Amino acid sequence: MSIRRTLVANRGEIAVRIIRAAHALGIEAVQVVSAADRDSAAARMADRTLVIGPAQSKNSYLNARLIVHAAKASGCDALHPGYGFLSERAELAHLCDEHGITFVGPAAATIAALGDKLRARAIAEQAGVPLVPGTDQIASVAAAHSAATKLGYPVLIKAAAGGGGRGMFVARDADAITASFDKSSNEAQEAFGDGTLYMERYVENARHVEVQVVGDGKGRVVHYGERDCSVQRRYQKVIEEAPCAALPDQLRHQLHESAVKLLSALKYRNAGTVEFLYDVERQAIYFIEVNTRIQVEHPVSEQVTGCDLVQTQFRIAGGEQALARQDQIKVTRHAIECRINAEDGARNFMPCPGRITRWRPPSGAGIRVDSHCYDGYLVPPFYDSMIAKLIVTAHDRPAAVARLGEALANFEIEGLTSNLPLLRYIVAQEDFAANRLHTRWLEQSVLPAFQQANA
Amino acid sequence: MSQPTAADIENLIELFNRSDWDEMHLKTDGLEIFLSNDPQARGPSASVAAAPAASAAPVLAAPVPAAPAADAGAKGEINVPAGMVAVRAPNLGTFYRAPKPGAPAYVELGQAIDADTEVCLIEVMKLFTPVKSGVKGTVREICVADGHMIEFEQVLIIVEPAA
Repeated sequence: MSIRRTLVANRGEIAVRIIRAAHALGIEAVQVVSAADRDSAAARMADRTLVIGPAQSKNSYLNARLIVHAAKASGCDALHPGYGFLSERAELAHLCDEHGITFVGPAAATIAALGDKLRARAIAEQAGVPLVPGTDQIASVAAAHSAATKLGYPVLIKAAAGGGGRGMFVARDADAITASFDKSSNEAQEAFGDGTLYMERYVENARHVEVQVVGDGKGRVVHYGERDCSVQRRYQKVIEEAPCAALPDQLRHQLHESAVKLLSALKYRNAGTVEFLYDVERQAIYFIEVNTRIQVEHPVSEQVTGCDLVQTQFRIAGGEQALARQDQIKVTRHAIECRINAEDGARNFMPCPGRITRWRPPSGAGIRVDSHCYDGYLVPPFYDSMIAKLIVTAHDRPAAVARLGEALANFEIEGLTSNLPLLRYIVAQEDFAANRLHTRWLEQSVLPAFQQANA
Repeated sequence: MSQPTAADIENLIELFNRSDWDEMHLKTDGLEIFLSNDPQARGPSASVAAAPAASAAPVLAAPVPAAPAADAGAKGEINVPAGMVAVRAPNLGTFYRAPKPGAPAYVELGQAIDADTEVCLIEVMKLFTPVKSGVKGTVREICVADGHMIEFEQVLIIVEPAA
C-alpha cells in the first residue's frame, strides 16, 4: 500500500466508515471537522483531527481549498471524499492532482463528464446503453401527437432547458397533450427563458436499480451486482437492497453488461454506480445517470459479495493490482438497508436534531449498523439528518425481511424523534414482504395511511 | 445599575462568543439574558441533564482512544488571561506575521492597535487574507510561530483592551 496517510473529507457515519477502512490497511487518518463536529466519533477515532472552520458547510466541508490545504499541511498523501459534500465536484479531484495528493475516486475529467447529465446521456448512447426512449425538441401539438403515437402513451413532456418539474406533464392520451402543450411551453419560457419541449416515454411501473462497479483506470471494470432502491420519498432513497430479487436473470445480465460497457469505455477509475430505471411492464432497463462516488447504500453490496468496497477504493487509489476478477465476485446472500433519519415521518418529515439520550442499536447474526452516534451525542442541526444505516443479511429475501422487522423492533433511540416508526410500518406491509414495489409505492400506498394513523 | 444599552448587550454577546463558556445567564432588574452554544437549550438549566459521556464509544467502533489528539481542540488550548481579549483564527490555514517574506511584521509586542488594525495574514492555498484585531488595545502576546498551521478559532494574538 503506497498510501500512508489519508485525509477524511466528510463527516458522520461515512467518516467513521472511511477511518475504519484506512486503519485496517495500516493507513493513518486525518479527520477535518467543522466546529460543530469537534466531539464527533470520527474526531475521536482519527489519528489527528483538524478543525477547519465554522459549522456552516459552506465554510468547512464544502470549501475545497481549505480541505486540500489541511491535507497538505498535515502531510496527507491521499484524500477520501466520502459521499455528498464535495465528492462529485471535479474541482476537488483537480486540486488534489495539482498538489500531488491521491484522490480516492475517479479522474477529475471523468467526474466532470458524467456530472453533466446530457453529456452522460450521450456517452451512454454511444456505448450502446439503453436510454428511456424519447425525442428531440418538439415544435407543435401536431408533432407531439405523432411522436407520442410512436413512443406509446403515457408520455412525459419535459422542458429542454429545465428541471424541478417546471413545464413538465404526463399525458395519457392525445387530448391531454392538446390541453397542456402550449401552457407547458409558456411555463418553460417563463421559468427558463426557453419554451422548448421534448418527450420521453413515461415509465409507469418503475423500479430504481443500480449497478456497483469498480474500475482500475486502465479500461478494466468489474461489477458487484445490482441494488434495488425503489422505496423512495421525493427521489430520496429510504430502503435499499441487494440483489434486485424481482429482476429476471436475462435482464440482470443485460444490466450488468451495460454498466460495465459504459464505464469501460471511459477507462473509469475507482468505485462508481450506474443507475437505471427498470420498466417492469415492458421488461426493459433504461440508463439514468452515473454517480462517481461511494454511495450511502454500498453496504448491501458488501454484505452480499463479502467485499469491503471502501478498502477496495484505497487499494485502487494506492496503485495496488487489487481489482478482482469478475468470476471471483459472487452474490450469495440477500441484504436490506434502512436509512435511520432524525426526522418526524408523521409531521411532514421535519428534521429533528437534538441530543440522543439513549442509543441502543440492535445486534446479532446478520445485523450491521453503520453509525456515528452514541449515548449523549448531539445531532447538530446543520447537516443531513441521517444518523444510522441498519443493514440486515440473510440467505434469501424473505429471511432478510423477517430479520429486518426484528432488528427494527429492537432498535431503541431516545432523546430525539426518528423515522423508526415509519420504517417499522413500511417493513410490515404485505407489499414489502411480497416485493410488489415501485418508485412511487411509498408515497402513494404507504405514507397517506401512515400519516393518518399518526396524526 | 442603569438599564443596559443595545451596545452593552452586543458586547456581552461578543464576549460570550469569544469565551470557552457553554452558557451564560445574566439577570438584573428588568432584564434577563440567556446565551448558550447548545441549539437545543431552552433556558438556564436547573440541573445538568444528559451531559455527553466523555468515554462513550460510537456504535460498532472498537474502543476508541479516550481523548482526541492533543491538537484536536485548538479552542481552549491557550489560556486567555482575565481582562485580555484573544484574536482567533477565522478558519484553518497557515499563519504569517508579515504581508510577505522579509517585510516588517504587521504588529509587534507592546504595540498599540485599533480594532481595524491588521495583525496577521492567513493563507489557504495561496489565497491570503489579513486578519483584523477587532479590539483597540495593546498587543501582549503572539501565540503562533510564523508559517505554522492554525485551526479554526485558534488563539493567534492576545490583546490587552484599552481602558
